[in-house]
Amino acid sequence: MSIWEKAKTIDRRIIFLFMFLGVALPLLIRIGLPVSVTNDVKKVYDYIEGLEPGSIVLVSYDHDTGTLPEMLPMSDAILRHLFRNNIKVIGMALRAEGTGIGRQNIRRSGAEFGKIEGEDFVFLGFRPEITAAILGLGTSFERVFPKDDEGIPIRELPMMKDINNYGDIEMVISITDDDTPVYWVNYANARFKVKVVAGLTAVMATTFFPFIDSGQMVGMVAGLKGAAEYEKLIEKRGRAGRGMDAQSIAHLVMIGFIIIGNIAFIMRKRGK
Amino acid sequence: MRRSFPILVCFGFGTIMLAQFFIPSKLSTGAYNEITNWVQIIYAFALIVGVVGLIRYHLSRVSRRQGGWFFNLVTVSSLFMMAFLGFVWGRGDHSPFMWVFNNMMAPMQATVFSLLAFFVASAAYRGFVARNIEAFLLLFSAVMIMFGIASIGNSIPPFSDIANWILMNPSMTARRGIFIGVGLGTIAVSLRVILGVERTYLGKE
Amino acid sequence: MDSGLICVSLFTSEGVGIWIASILTLAIYSFLYRDNPIYRFSESLLIGISVGFLLVTTFDTTLLPKAFEPVGKGIIGISESGGINSFAIFVWILIPVVLGFLMFTRFVPRYAWMSRVALALYIGFGAGASIPANMQSYILRQIDATIRPFLNIDSFWSLVNALIVLVGLISTLFYFFFSKEQKGAFGKITRLGTFYLMIFFGATFGYTVMARISLLIGRLTFLMKDWLGLIS
Repeated sequence: MSIWEKAKTIDRRIIFLFMFLGVALPLLIRIGLPVSVTNDVKKVYDYIEGLEPGSIVLVSYDHDTGTLPEMLPMSDAILRHLFRNNIKVIGMALRAEGTGIGRQNIRRSGAEFGKIEGEDFVFLGFRPEITAAILGLGTSFERVFPKDDEGIPIRELPMMKDINNYGDIEMVISITDDDTPVYWVNYANARFKVKVVAGLTAVMATTFFPFIDSGQMVGMVAGLKGAAEYEKLIEKRGRAGRGMDAQSIAHLVMIGFIIIGNIAFIMRKRGK
Repeated sequence: MRRSFPILVCFGFGTIMLAQFFIPSKLSTGAYNEITNWVQIIYAFALIVGVVGLIRYHLSRVSRRQGGWFFNLVTVSSLFMMAFLGFVWGRGDHSPFMWVFNNMMAPMQATVFSLLAFFVASAAYRGFVARNIEAFLLLFSAVMIMFGIASIGNSIPPFSDIANWILMNPSMTARRGIFIGVGLGTIAVSLRVILGVERTYLGKE
Repeated sequence: MDSGLICVSLFTSEGVGIWIASILTLAIYSFLYRDNPIYRFSESLLIGISVGFLLVTTFDTTLLPKAFEPVGKGIIGISESGGINSFAIFVWILIPVVLGFLMFTRFVPRYAWMSRVALALYIGFGAGASIPANMQSYILRQIDATIRPFLNIDSFWSLVNALIVLVGLISTLFYFFFSKEQKGAFGKITRLGTFYLMIFFGATFGYTVMARISLLIGRLTFLMKDWLGLIS
C-alpha cells in the first residue's frame, strides 16, 4: 500500500488532534494577528453611531445556547456601543433559550454603563411563532407583550410609556443562529419599513448578502470574526478579538488538510 | 365535517390575512391583531404538545425496558427536574433553574455544536477533492473564503478582495436565485393551501 | 469575572459551576474518541434539561400572561358584572385557549381530528401572511436590486459585475426549472447555473468552518482559562 493509499485511510482521530492543536496552541501563545474591518460591519457601526441619544433600538435574541461562543461576544460588543451612545434598548427573544441569555446579557451590559432597568433598557421575554410575533409588534408592542419577562405590565415601565409599535423605534437587531432575520426582513422591513440588522452565526452569513445588496438590511455582523471587527470599532478588545489568532491558524490547518487530501487524490489517480 | 371544516377555517383565516394586507382598514387591522395574538397562543400550546409527546415516547421506552432505557429515564428525569426547579423557584437570575441553564445546559449545548469543527475537518480531508469543474469551483470558493475572511488572509489585499468579490457577486446572485425560487414556490403552495387543493397538513383520515 | 467565550461563567463565578460545566464538556468531547455511555448520558441529560427549559419558559412567559391570566380575568369579570358584554369578551378570549387545548386531542386517536382545526388556523394564517411578504421581499426587491446597478454604471468593472450578477441570477433560476430536460442551449445555461451554485455552496462551507471553529475556540478557552487557568 502506497503512502497515498494509506493517507486515504488515516484514523480520523489524528485529524481531530491536529484541529485541537490548531486551536489550543494559538490560545496559549498569542500571535496578535491584525483584525481588519469589513464593509458590512462598518455599516452597522455607522448607522448606530448616527442615532440620536435616547433613540430606541430593539435587540432580539433569536438564538439557542449552542452557538453562544459566537453570539455572546457579538451581542456584548453591540450592546456596549448602544449603551455607550445612550441609546435605549428593548430586549426580547424569539427562541425560548434566548430569554435566559438575553435577560442576563442585557442586564450585565446595562450595569456596566450604569443604566437602569425599566428606564434605559427593558427585557420583554420570549414569544413563540416568529411570524405572528413580528407582525403583531407592527401594530402593538403591548398586545404581543402585555407584561415583561418579570411579569410587570409593560405600560408600567417608564421606558415603554410612549412606545407603541415599530414607528417608535429606530431599528431591529436580530442576534441569531438561524434564518430569523429573513422573517424580520420579510415582515417587519417589507411591511413596516423598520431598519433591520443581523448579528449572525457565520454559517448563515451567505444567506444575507442579497438583502444587504438590495438595501433591505442595513448590514450584518457575522460570526466571531464580525464580533472582533465590532470590538475593534468600539475600541474595546474583548473575547472575540482574543480568539482571532486561533481562528486563523485553525483555518490554515483546515486548508492544509484539503490540500493534502487533493494531492493524495491526484497521486492515487496517477498510480492507477 | 372532519376534513371540510378545517379546510374552511384555513381558507377563512388565509383569506383574511391576505386581504388585510391589500385593504387596510380598522376592521382588517382589528382582525389582524386578533389573529396574530391567537396564533401565538396556539403555537405555545403546540410546543407543550411536543413536550408531552416527548415525555410519552421516553416513558413508554422505560416502561417496556427497551434497549438503552436508562438513557430515556435520564432524559425524562432531567426534564421533570428542570420543570420542578422552574415552577417552584422561578426563573430569576439567581434561581436554581438559571444555575442549571448557565452551568449545565449552555456548556453542553455549545460543546455538542463545537464537535462539528472536528468532523468538518475530517470530512473535508476525505471528500473535498477537485474531481471536476463543479467540485473545483466549490473547493476554490471555500478555500478563498476560509483564507480571505480570517485575520491572516484578511490583511492581504488580493485574498480579502477575492473573498469579498465572491461573496458580493457570484455567491450572492446564486443565493438570490434560490430566494426567488423559494418565493415563487411559497406563493404557489400558499395559494394551494388557502384554496384547499393542498391538504396534506390534515394527515390521513 | 470576565471569563472565556462561553456564558456559563459569565453569568456566575461559582467554582462548583465551572467544575460541573467542565466535566460535562469533557463528557461530550469523549465522543471524539468513540461513542460511549458517558457521552450518551450527557446527551440524554442535555435533551431533558433543554425541553424542561422550553416547557417552563413557554408556560411562564407566554401561556400564563396571554392565555390563562386573561381567562381568569374574564371569569372574574363575568362573576362581578354578569353582563352579556363580559360574557362575550370572555368567549372571545377563550377561543384561542380552547383551540390550543384541542391540540392535545392528537394523543387520543378517536378525537385526533379536532386538532386539525387549530392546525388549519395556523396554516391558513401562515399561508395568507406569506404571500405578500414573499412577493415583496423575495421577488420584487431582489429583481429590482439586480437591475438597478445597470442604471448606475460608473466604470467598466461595475458593468462587468452587474452582468455577472444578472447572468448568475438567470442561469440559477433556469437550473431550478425542472419541467424541461436540461439539454442543448438550455442545458448549457443550467450548467452555468450549477457553477454559480457551487461557488455559493463553497462560500457557505467556508463560513460554516469559521462558525464551528469559533465554537471550539469558545469551549477550549473556557476549559483552558476558566477551569485550568492556563491562559492569563
